[in-house]
Amino acid sequence: MSDEDQDLLATAVSARLARLGNMPVDTSRVDKMVRQQIPQPPKQRRVWFARPVRAVAASLLLMSAIAAAIVLSTSGGPALADSAQMAQVYQDIVSGRVAVMQVDSIEAANRMLNSQSPGAPSLPRVPESHVMACCMKSVHNKKMACVLLKNEGVPVTLAVASASDMKMPTSPVVTRKGVDYRVQRVGELSMVMTERDGKWLCLIGQLPAERLMDVAAQVQF
Amino acid sequence: MAAGTAARWRLDPDHATRRFYDLIWPHRADVLRLALFLCRDRFAAEDLAQEALFKAFRAIDRFEGPDAKRWLLTILRNAWTDRMRSRAGRSDVSVGELEHEPPARSPRSDDHEGWTHPQELLEAFSDQQIIDALHELPDEIRWTLLLVDVQGVSTQEAAQVLEVPPGTVKSRAHRGRAMLHELLLPVARQRRMLSGNAMGGPNAEPEAL
Repeated sequence: MSDEDQDLLATAVSARLARLGNMPVDTSRVDKMVRQQIPQPPKQRRVWFARPVRAVAASLLLMSAIAAAIVLSTSGGPALADSAQMAQVYQDIVSGRVAVMQVDSIEAANRMLNSQSPGAPSLPRVPESHVMACCMKSVHNKKMACVLLKNEGVPVTLAVASASDMKMPTSPVVTRKGVDYRVQRVGELSMVMTERDGKWLCLIGQLPAERLMDVAAQVQF
Repeated sequence: MAAGTAARWRLDPDHATRRFYDLIWPHRADVLRLALFLCRDRFAAEDLAQEALFKAFRAIDRFEGPDAKRWLLTILRNAWTDRMRSRAGRSDVSVGELEHEPPARSPRSDDHEGWTHPQELLEAFSDQQIIDALHELPDEIRWTLLLVDVQGVSTQEAAQVLEVPPGTVKSRAHRGRAMLHELLLPVARQRRMLSGNAMGGPNAEPEAL
């Protein structure tokens, strides 16, 4: 018998055996014995309208949750700019990972930012610092105007936002000349946050916190 | 499955019972059919099927899904193995040892005599004749054919049920089909089916087991 014949025969046997799988079987005796030992629990009575009502309720609940999440994320209270986020903003700007606009003065920076994002928070003048670049960033949908400065040859970022939009972190407070500064440190970066004239300011750089507080004290709106 | 979930089922017999009737009960006919092909006696087959169903119920909290049929066939297989061991009076013997598996004989030159249309000829055998021939096969070969050809289980799934590699399933299926042919050949000759005096016919109604 050739291989082809054997294959043909094997296929035929297989097909014939498959027909046995459709043979009707009388399960009545087995059914009776099993049901005696394992009584089938009564089917749960369901009110005909219960499922649709539950489905509608679930949909409403889901929609409410989504709406609440949107409201909270877009128009909620002041956003907390945590130190990690702000350090990331600094790294992005300094390393050029985000698009920045090259400028050489605060006036030029304000013009550029306003043309790009009308109503952007205005940047203050910072004496003794060289203005290099600016950009807009946002934290929890709150706009921040950012400028890259060079102070004593060291890059420093200054972020400005409306004071009502931002929440101060619960970091140590240093008071100098009646002004409160929130001081934090992330790796080699120092971070100083304060409020001035209804604006929230955040200065970040590889400088001592005291030096950043000096710069913050010099800003002029 | 999380232990907590399993514990919950054990604490909730109604849940276990519903699960049994939802997942296992629809496959009871397959289990009984297979048991009928395994046992020569109908009462023994029903007893085996019941045993498998009760075992499935007791273990329902351990079933992780999704293939309830395969799980149930594995239980049936184990119940059958236990019976075979019990019959042999040993608890440590494998089913393979219980029945010697003869290698498929090399087909003789006249084996194919008259089998020019094997499918047509095989259809002429009654279901009972095929079942009788299946009973003559070694247990492992028979199980393989019952799973792969009769139940239409994939090679991979059959391998899981039989706890052997898929390659073994394939070779056993191949050998089994050849052996079945050899077993049916004398019947065909005896009944002169090879010369066209086929019994029944391809359209013969299947009889209920």
